[in-house]
Amino acid sequence: MPKVYITGLGFITSIGNDAAGVIESLRELRHGFELYPPFQKPEIPVKVAAPVRGFSMESTDAEDWTFPAPYRMRREILRGMAPHGVYAWCAMQQAVADAGLSEADISNRDTGLYAASGGSPHLMGHMLQRMHAQGVMKCSPLGIVASISGTLNFNLVAHFRIKGASCGFSSACASSSHALGFAYDELVLGRQKRMFVVGAEDGNVDAILPFAGMRALSLQTDPDLASRPFDSARDGFVGTGGAVVLVLETGDEVERRGAKVYCEVAGWGQASDGYNVAISHPEGHGLQAAIENALRATGTSAEEVDYVNAHATSTPIGDSSEAKALKAVFKTPASRPAISSTKALTGHGLSLAGAMESGFCALAIREGFMPGSAHITTLDPACEGLNIIRSTLPARPNVVLNNVSGFGGANVCLVFNKA
Amino acid sequence: MAYKELTMADAIQPGSGNDKPHPASPKAFAPEDEAPLREALKRCSPSTFEAAIQFRKTGNPEHLPAVVIGVIERFVEPDLRTKLKDADDDLRLIEDLGIDSLTMMEIVILVEDVLQMSINNDELRNLRTVGDVKTFIDCKVRGLSLPKPTKFLPIEQIAAIMPIQPPFLFINEASVSSSGANAKYKITGQEFFLQGHFKDNPVMPASIMLEALGQLGVLFLLDGPLAEPGRVVSPSTIFFTGCEGVRAHRICRPGDILTLSIKPKRMKMPLATFEGTIRVGQEKAVIAEEITLTFGYAEAVVAPVVNGSEHAGLKGAEAVAPIPLRAAINA
Repeated sequence: MPKVYITGLGFITSIGNDAAGVIESLRELRHGFELYPPFQKPEIPVKVAAPVRGFSMESTDAEDWTFPAPYRMRREILRGMAPHGVYAWCAMQQAVADAGLSEADISNRDTGLYAASGGSPHLMGHMLQRMHAQGVMKCSPLGIVASISGTLNFNLVAHFRIKGASCGFSSACASSSHALGFAYDELVLGRQKRMFVVGAEDGNVDAILPFAGMRALSLQTDPDLASRPFDSARDGFVGTGGAVVLVLETGDEVERRGAKVYCEVAGWGQASDGYNVAISHPEGHGLQAAIENALRATGTSAEEVDYVNAHATSTPIGDSSEAKALKAVFKTPASRPAISSTKALTGHGLSLAGAMESGFCALAIREGFMPGSAHITTLDPACEGLNIIRSTLPARPNVVLNNVSGFGGANVCLVFNKA
Repeated sequence: MAYKELTMADAIQPGSGNDKPHPASPKAFAPEDEAPLREALKRCSPSTFEAAIQFRKTGNPEHLPAVVIGVIERFVEPDLRTKLKDADDDLRLIEDLGIDSLTMMEIVILVEDVLQMSINNDELRNLRTVGDVKTFIDCKVRGLSLPKPTKFLPIEQIAAIMPIQPPFLFINEASVSSSGANAKYKITGQEFFLQGHFKDNPVMPASIMLEALGQLGVLFLLDGPLAEPGRVVSPSTIFFTGCEGVRAHRICRPGDILTLSIKPKRMKMPLATFEGTIRVGQEKAVIAEEITLTFGYAEAVVAPVVNGSEHAGLKGAEAVAPIPLRAAINA
C-alpha cells in the first residue's frame, strides 16, 4: 500500500495568515478572539468571535472586498466566490508554493481536490432577499455557485484547473476530516497521486449567529475566557472562519519531486453515534468507535499515541462526551497521551475544523511541539485522569490523532505519524 | 420561460416622433431615485451615470449608447477596455471583449436596473456585437420591433448565396446587419490578374477593390433586411449602375488584409446606394461616396416542396431565386 505524506500547507486563520504566524500562536497560546464589531448590538447576546484579519468582505458585492497585499484576484475569479472561497484561494497559493508545485503538477489527471465548507449563508441570504424583493430574474447569475454548499470546490477546481478527482463533503464539523480521509483513500487506492484537501468557512455574522438558536455559542463577553474547552465554566463555542489547505502526496511522488515532508498520513477511521441530530452521544460511543477504527486501520496501539488534538469545542455536552471517549480508548494511565484542544485559541471553524487542526498536527510533528490547551482555570471533573496539557510541550510527538465530531453524530479520527 | 413585456413600451406615446418632450420613463424620475442609480453605476464612468440620469429624466434615447457602452465597459477586464474606446459597432462581445454568457447576464441585469426595463432571455442570444446591443436597447426603449441581429457568414455561406463565384469573389468572411455589412479579404498573391497588374510588381487594382465593395453590396441586398415577407431579392437581377466620389489612398499588395465596409444610403426599388470604405488595419485604402446597384425581387419559395410539384412555390412569371435563401441561411 502506498504511503501518504503531507507536503504543503496553507493557512488563513484567526491565529495567523501563514504557517509561521500560526506556529507562533500555537506555541505561545495566543488566541484570535475579539469583541467582534458586528456583534456589538444590544439585540445580539453573543459578543466574541475569532475573525480572520486583513480581509474585508462584509459587502455582498465581491468587488468591494479587500485583501492583504500579496493577494490579487481578478473580477472573473471573484464573481462566483464566497468570502471563504477567497480565504481558500489565498491558502491554496500558500500550499502550492510551500509544496513547490508547478502548474503541471497541479493540473493533471492524477491530482484532485476535496473540499468542505458550509456554503455561504451570507450570500445565500442576500440572493434570496433580492429574488423576493426585485424578482426572480434579478438574482445574480453567479449567486448560486457563490453561495450553495459546494461553492468551495466549484471555484477552486475551476480556477486551479484541477483535472483529477473533485468533490465536496458535507458532514458539518466533521466535513473537512472526511475530505482528508477520503483523499487519503484516493491515494492509497492508487486512483490519484496528489490531493488538495481544503476546509473553509465564512466565519461571519450569518455563518456564526444561527448557532445561537441552539444555545451552542458562548455568551462570554471576555475574549480571554470565551473559548475554554475542558474547563468547568465553559458555556459554548466561539465561531471562526478562514481556510486551510493540505497537500497530500504518495511516497512515489514525494520521491520523484524531492519534496519536503511534514508528516505521514497513516490512515483514519470513522463511526457514527446513531443517536441525535445535533447532540453528541453522552458517553461518546461514536467517537470512541471512530478512534478505535482509526487505530486498528493503522495498526497503532493506544500506548503509541503521543498527542491528541481533541475536537472539544467548549460546549458543555460535547467536551464531556469526548473526554469519556478518550478515557474509554486510553484505559491505563501509562497509555494516556497529551491532549489539547486548539479551539481554545482559534474558536470552532465548523467545516474548517478538521483541515485546520490536521494542519496544526502536521506543524506540531515537524516543528517538534505539542500546543497546550489554553484557558483552563478549573478542569472539568469529567476530564480527571486525562493528560490535558495546559501549556505547550517542547517535544516532538511521533504519533498524533485528530478528532472531529459533526451533526448527526458523525465522528472522524485521523492518524498522523512522524515521517 | 416567463416573458415580462417591456414596461417602457407601455408608456411610449405613439407618434411622438422627434418632438420634445421625449417619451417618458415609466415613472417620473424622482430626486430619491438618484442615490440608488448612483449606487448601481458606482463602478461605471461618471459620464455613464450622467447619461443614465439624463435618460431617466428626459427619456431621450440619444443617451442610450453612452449608458450601454458604459455598462459594458464596467464588466470588461481593464486591459481590454481600450478596445471599447474607439470601437466600431462590429466589436464582438465574446471574441473581442471576453464577455461570457454569465457576464452578459450581469450586463443585462444592470441595464435593466438602470433603464427600468426588462429583457427576455431569448432576445439576448442574438446580441453578438456592441452595435447589436445598442440597436437592441434603442428599439426596446422606443417600442420598435427588433431588427435582425448581425449575422456572420463564413466563405461557404457567402459562396452559396452570391451570384458571383471564385475566382472573382473578393470576400472571405462577412457580417451583415440592418445597418450595413462588413467583410474581410486577404490578398493572397495568387489572384490571376496580379500576374499582369503589374509586371513584377503585384498591386491590387483599384477597380477590383471597388468591385469588392460592390460585391458586399450584393451580399447586403441578398441577405440583409430588404426582404419582405414572400419576396426576396433575386440574385440574377443585381447589376452595377454607377459610383461617385471614388478615391484610392493606399497601395494594397499581397499579404494585406482588406477590411471592407458598406452602409446603405438610399434604398428604393430598383436602386440601392451605399457608401463604402476599405481599410488595411487603421489605414484608409479606398473610399467610395456612392456605389449604386440595381436590383429586383423574386417571389420567394413559401414552403419547402415536400412531394412532387417543383412549381409549388411559383406564383408569377419571374424566375425563382436559384437558392432557397432563407432556408440556407437560417438553418
